[in-house]
Amino acid sequence: MPDRRRVGVTSALLLALLTVTVVGLIAAGPGPRDRVAELEGQLRCPVCKSVSIAESPSETAVAMRRSVAEQVAAGRNDAEILQYFEARYGEWVLLDPPAQGRGVWLLVLPAVVAVGGLALVLTRARRSPAVPELSDGDRDRVAAALADARTRRYQDEDDEP
Amino acid sequence: MILAAAGWAGVMLGLASSIALAVFGFRALRRPDRATRGQLQQPVVGMVTGAAVAFITLEIALLTDDFAVSFVAGNSSRATPVLFKLTAAWSALEGSIVLWIAVLAGFTAVVLRQVRSVDDRLGVGALAFMGLVATFFFGLVSTVANPFEVLAQPPADGPGPNALLQNHLLVTIHPPLLYLGYVGFTVPFAFAMSALLTRTPGVDWLRRTRRANLVAWSFLSAGLVLGAWWSYEVLGWGGFWAWDPVENAALIPWLTATAFIHSAVVQVRRGILQSWNFVLVLTTFALTILGTFLTRSSVVASVHSFTQSPVGPALLGFFVVVVVGGFTLFALRAPRLASPDRLESLASREGAFLVNNLLLSLFAFVVLLGTLYPVFVEAFTGAQTSVGRPFFDRMAVPISFALLLAMGVGPFTPYRAANGRLLWERLRPALLAGSLVSAGLVVAGVRSVAVVAVALLATAIVAASARQLFTSAPDRRPATLFRILRRQRGYWGGQVSHIGLVLVALAIAVSADLSERTTATLRQGESVEFGGYTVTYTGNETIQRSHRTEVAAEFQIREGTDVVRIAGPSLNQYPSQQQAVATPSVWSTPREDIYVALTSLEDGQVSVNLYRYPLMWTLWAGGLLVAAGGFWAVGGSPRRRVRDTTPAAAEANAPASSDAGAAQAVAVLSDPPAAQGEGQDRA
Repeated sequence: MPDRRRVGVTSALLLALLTVTVVGLIAAGPGPRDRVAELEGQLRCPVCKSVSIAESPSETAVAMRRSVAEQVAAGRNDAEILQYFEARYGEWVLLDPPAQGRGVWLLVLPAVVAVGGLALVLTRARRSPAVPELSDGDRDRVAAALADARTRRYQDEDDEP
Repeated sequence: MILAAAGWAGVMLGLASSIALAVFGFRALRRPDRATRGQLQQPVVGMVTGAAVAFITLEIALLTDDFAVSFVAGNSSRATPVLFKLTAAWSALEGSIVLWIAVLAGFTAVVLRQVRSVDDRLGVGALAFMGLVATFFFGLVSTVANPFEVLAQPPADGPGPNALLQNHLLVTIHPPLLYLGYVGFTVPFAFAMSALLTRTPGVDWLRRTRRANLVAWSFLSAGLVLGAWWSYEVLGWGGFWAWDPVENAALIPWLTATAFIHSAVVQVRRGILQSWNFVLVLTTFALTILGTFLTRSSVVASVHSFTQSPVGPALLGFFVVVVVGGFTLFALRAPRLASPDRLESLASREGAFLVNNLLLSLFAFVVLLGTLYPVFVEAFTGAQTSVGRPFFDRMAVPISFALLLAMGVGPFTPYRAANGRLLWERLRPALLAGSLVSAGLVVAGVRSVAVVAVALLATAIVAASARQLFTSAPDRRPATLFRILRRQRGYWGGQVSHIGLVLVALAIAVSADLSERTTATLRQGESVEFGGYTVTYTGNETIQRSHRTEVAAEFQIREGTDVVRIAGPSLNQYPSQQQAVATPSVWSTPREDIYVALTSLEDGQVSVNLYRYPLMWTLWAGGLLVAAGGFWAVGGSPRRRVRDTTPAAAEANAPASSDAGAAQAVAVLSDPPAAQGEGQDRA
């Protein structure tokens, strides 16, 4: 094929660009973890509607944010801090239910649906009979017929009933 | 008094007409020889008249401050501006159900126009089912959600609508758009049920509901975007999507409806997925009812409070009837209607559609699960739990990436069977463009994996669409290209929606990873450095308006020494509410949004939240493009559309299936829209 060289060049270029992207991202690594912000996002604001304390302008949320920052500064770990708030406000305050006990359902059910759906899709596909490759002559004929049909169709457009 | 009576009469007329439509509709199915079209037409006229009278009466009552009408007394006030008096009609439950019946009556009238005679069993059955649905909603308005109760001692003034609902212009259009979407899904539901009941095989019901379905979907898309915009511009918490149950209730049917739009194409083009389409349509309609139940009863706040108003149990009961009745009929009839054909290969357009359906259904399931989990936990154990952003984001992000991938491959894959070489050929330039952008972003210093990945996929999808357009055109004149867009509305409307979604994904990734935020407490004259600007608090003023008191703080935003913007976020105090409602000030430029929201304002000292969101406009533009793509697909002259609604024509349109070699050759050498012609249009 005449344009095989061009294909090779674009493929190499593509590979190079993707390498730059991936290497660049890996070299930069994940940014520093902002534990305070992460924890704020997991705690529900007690006086608002379904937003976290990170997103709420209310005074309660401001006080809770201060408390989170203090506890992080004091060196307590994430689980301890979340437990502290759970003890004060109840399980309700955790926007991300822990994956133990009944919280497991939130992981198991989507997984079951995903696997079941995938199995269904895969079993739907039937083995397709091998399709014979066309000879170059046939290919050219189909291409010519298509090109012809295409031009004709757009020319005739206004005549359509 | 007169208005209440007139409104009530309208509702009664509508109720009687809906019952009549259902009765005459089902009777016409059983004894077509005794039925006439007039027996169907008169009830529909009655429904439309009744709903129009009810809605218009409600608006007149609101505009004329007729506090003898219970809804007006509860949801309006003399001081409310005229515009918000009009929108007060859908600011509370009873009025919004009146809007619902008005929209439903409109859709029923549109269906009636399609039904030329009682011999059209599919259409007659659909009308009968629409009559059943309408009976429920008119029944709701006439009993437990009656806005026209007459108050013996009318109050001198009312409390006015909910403060949040009279704070911004977007509230005037967002709910009606959402309802046009929600209610519109009744049409495909009614046709699907009718196809099952009358044992009508084939794709007739899909073709006949294509318009209504696309219109409903487009309105729902627009409603979702405007809802997010309203949340961003009005609520002042700095975000646009909170995974709140009310938002999820609108998102879940949108996801299943999107899946249906795609799987309907597969059935029309390839004759498979018949049963699955019934399931999706039933599910979508049931989810709109469930969503209304979730938002209109306070079940989400607490399981035990949903019986406070009888509307909750009524909607839940209707939901159960729809699910049980619908799926029973489906189980009885679908096996006989199901298509015998099977998928030939997963590596094909229909395979991509199947993957898309799997992902969208999973997405809908996950959002539904997260929304209902606290309800079920409370019902069974009494414990109060929450499911919020961390859970939804963790689930939604990978599913959305997979959807973007499917979006990049699917539309450029031929039907039946594709080979790797062909796909590689079609997608190589697009991938090259995408990786050029991603490498450029990384070199420019962007370190967010999500942003870089979305940018790559976004560029590739846009580039692949453009390549598709150019290669299917005989020449590159704009007129020719536009003609292709116009003649293959289904395909190109879909591509426009895809490009819109890609912009939305980009905005979501950028706002999640590249936004900045700070909180500051400032005295008058003090400044804070933020996002390359200096923000100075220069004072505040109090404005007394008829319906509220506004305290607006003034901030100077300077870049270097130039004042580039005066921001005026405010706190609005409504007489009926203790807590002030904060209105943020959003300064949008093509580069970024600077968002200033007050949290408190007392004696010369303000607390503000400042946010910087780069490229925020792409979210709204992308969202509206999604809706625009849907409308584009609907458009076009009905004359051409009518031409091949018969199954025979559909067969003729499909590629000849006997000669696999030739079909494969066509698939290899051509691009899908050109080769497969206009059947796609109506898919």
